[in-house]
Amino acid sequence: FFSFSRLFEDLTMAATLKPYLNAVRTTLEAAMCLENFYSQRVERHLKPEVEIRSSKEVLFAPLEICRNDREKVLIEGSINSLRMSIAIKQADEIEKILCHKFMRFMMMRAENFFILRRKPLEGYDISFLITNYHTEQMYKHKLIDFIMEFMTEIDKEISEMKLCLNGRGRVCAVEYLKMFN
Amino acid sequence: MGSTNIVHQLFLDPISSHAFNADQTQLVVSNSTPLTHIMQLGGDKKFSTKEVLEQHLERVTSVDWAPKTNRIVTCAGDRNAYVWNYQEQDGYWKPCLVLLRINRAATFVRWSPLEDRFAVGSGARLLSICYFDPEHNWWVSKHIKKPIRSTILCVDWHPSNHLVAIGSCDFKCRVFCSALKELGDKPQTSNWMPKLNKFGTLLAEFDTNNGWVHGVQFSPSGNQLAWVAHDSSVNVVNSANLTKVHTVLTSNLPYSCLLWMSESSFAAAGFNYCPDLYTVTADGVTFTAKMDVKKEKSGGGAAMSAMARFQKLDVQGQSETGGTTVDTTHENCITEIRALSRNPATGAVSKFSTSGKDGRLVIWNFDALSSSLGGLKI
Repeated sequence: FFSFSRLFEDLTMAATLKPYLNAVRTTLEAAMCLENFYSQRVERHLKPEVEIRSSKEVLFAPLEICRNDREKVLIEGSINSLRMSIAIKQADEIEKILCHKFMRFMMMRAENFFILRRKPLEGYDISFLITNYHTEQMYKHKLIDFIMEFMTEIDKEISEMKLCLNGRGRVCAVEYLKMFN
Repeated sequence: MGSTNIVHQLFLDPISSHAFNADQTQLVVSNSTPLTHIMQLGGDKKFSTKEVLEQHLERVTSVDWAPKTNRIVTCAGDRNAYVWNYQEQDGYWKPCLVLLRINRAATFVRWSPLEDRFAVGSGARLLSICYFDPEHNWWVSKHIKKPIRSTILCVDWHPSNHLVAIGSCDFKCRVFCSALKELGDKPQTSNWMPKLNKFGTLLAEFDTNNGWVHGVQFSPSGNQLAWVAHDSSVNVVNSANLTKVHTVLTSNLPYSCLLWMSESSFAAAGFNYCPDLYTVTADGVTFTAKMDVKKEKSGGGAAMSAMARFQKLDVQGQSETGGTTVDTTHENCITEIRALSRNPATGAVSKFSTSGKDGRLVIWNFDALSSSLGGLKI
């Protein structure tokens, strides 16, 4: 029964996926126009303005793109940095735990990821911080491809993990209950 | 049709600014380090570093070369600027102190048309006009502060040497009077300055609707002013009618620099990695052409061979041909566009250069481009 209801949900959701991803991609393309900007507040400092938020004129209005009430993306931009936070679909308790552990695994290794933020924003599961240094060292179109692929793959990965988990649980339970046969 | 543009891959890190000398055999270039490179065009038609100027402590944000007096000015995020004079006898560039008196990073610098002074924009929300003090052998500055409210991103001089235009992060483009009585300036009245004003007077202010003004330039005669902003707009105003600003809101990514190609057209370049040509008429501004004409890719890449597919799966973990590619000459944002040869009579440009964040310097042959784009006239 669980698999049938999931299939139904997927079919109705498929129609919203493409426009959602397109909206995110075009917003990222516009927001990732970053350039080097020295701080106006502190001399000789260069900080990601989206994190410091001290000069209002160099910040963009934050944009939230929602697929439904549970899946959404918040994109905050500025002149030299961009912060993107993703709220991942978590339908039940198991998915919540799996998602939390998976994101935590990646965020603890944020240094190797370069564009990942160590802590997600309030209300979201994972956050990226992209600065002008990243767009200077890496191709902007490849960065966007990476983020879009991340968003599409993350749901699949969590579903796979959940299926594995349920499978293993079933095998363990069968073996254990054989004792009482 | 092969490309007639010459591409120089100077560095692997972004070029923030570049300027050529009078005969275009030498180039001063700043990248994302505190060093400034003087490059010489060699016999193999490639640029190689001749000298490295080391004085700054932070990224050099802007450089400019005064062709007639042969002086270079550099400014950086360490709040300093230096003027470099070439020592003929010893064959090196010697720095000269500039008293900028700013307490934030310098962002942009330009020599004036007569090369007796230069303007430095900074994050201290003020513009410094610097001139030489022969008594102490240094350059002193006068500030223009009001009513600039945010970091200055670009500066341009009017051909008369007495007016400057700036673009800043407070979404405005402004024109100021910069006539210095210390240097014995005798400014003339014009459409920009109907009556004589003193130094630092605001002559005109234009709003851009929440877009940081990345690039500003006077036309070759000085009668028109064009600026490009982060809201992807291209704006032109004629000094004959300062209330009517012609704006084009493009659907591209924003431009970050522009260059007047003649009195009635200009090229704008920026985050869409390619210079675009715009024509100005009495009715307004229109987009004319993209100037990056690349030959068609053969094959189209639709069908991947089985071998290539397995290799991609092995190395990248993907089996489809997905992924976007760029098909422009520059692979990252264009930071500066400079005229290489300007006809002194008509002000028309036949060759120009662009530098980008991909470390490339491209020299564009506008005459060849205009013939390939079907008789484009500027």
